[in-house]
Amino acid sequence: MEYLIFINRLRFVKGCNYMLETLLKPEFILLDLEASSWEQAICKSYEPMVMDGIVTEEYVADVIQGVKTHGPYIVICPHVAIPHARPEFGALKPGIGVAILKEPVKFGSQDNDPVKYLFPLSSRDSTNHLQMLQELVELLSNKETMQSLSKVVSQQQVMEIVREKGELNA
Amino acid sequence: MPKRYRALVCCRAGMGSSMMLKIKCDQVIKENDLPIDTEHGNLDSLIGFDGDLVITMSDLTDELNADPRVPCAVGITNIVSKDEMLNKLSEWVKSQN
Repeated sequence: MEYLIFINRLRFVKGCNYMLETLLKPEFILLDLEASSWEQAICKSYEPMVMDGIVTEEYVADVIQGVKTHGPYIVICPHVAIPHARPEFGALKPGIGVAILKEPVKFGSQDNDPVKYLFPLSSRDSTNHLQMLQELVELLSNKETMQSLSKVVSQQQVMEIVREKGELNA
Repeated sequence: MPKRYRALVCCRAGMGSSMMLKIKCDQVIKENDLPIDTEHGNLDSLIGFDGDLVITMSDLTDELNADPRVPCAVGITNIVSKDEMLNKLSEWVKSQN
């Protein structure tokens, strides 16, 4: 038991349990997702994470409320949205998903519409998740990575891209 | 010693976009030696903020510029564009002189 606690602490120190590739599970990756509105895109992108107890439905509702109140500030670069909400609304565990839409939808972002890629986040504490967010920024900044992401046909391929990217950063 | 400015990087939740924005801003600030130090927060962090600048996503800019607690808000449209960040931040620094 003590050994296990020690190992866990070690993992915490290394920060590897907050790495993108550790938090992204294959079942959180949705390809060819069909959505007729931005609300639906957000809801569907979070579905597997709600099922898995990562976030609550109230959390997803707060993501949508946030965009309704403040505008599409979650659309952070061309064709990419990172849905997230205030943690107290139901971010139960840290997590991230990937949803690639079959047909892009408009979020009302003047410069970055339409959105094709969603990276739904569950984050309780941005300092702990710094590594995950850092890896995500690097992934989004890398044209080649984004190009490979546009061609994926399986969840496994997405996992491989994330893993390769993580190794490059390490 | 030239003046250094204090900037708050924030979004609504302070969890996702603002942290990613801060990561990228810090890269640009470091690479170009801009006289800005960043801190990070959410909309609540504006209470008692006495720095010089707020950096946020462009969709929140109008709302923040209308807020009396905000000295000046700079909005970023594309989080991965270092050019956009450099242009907007250096322009702001120039406007302070």
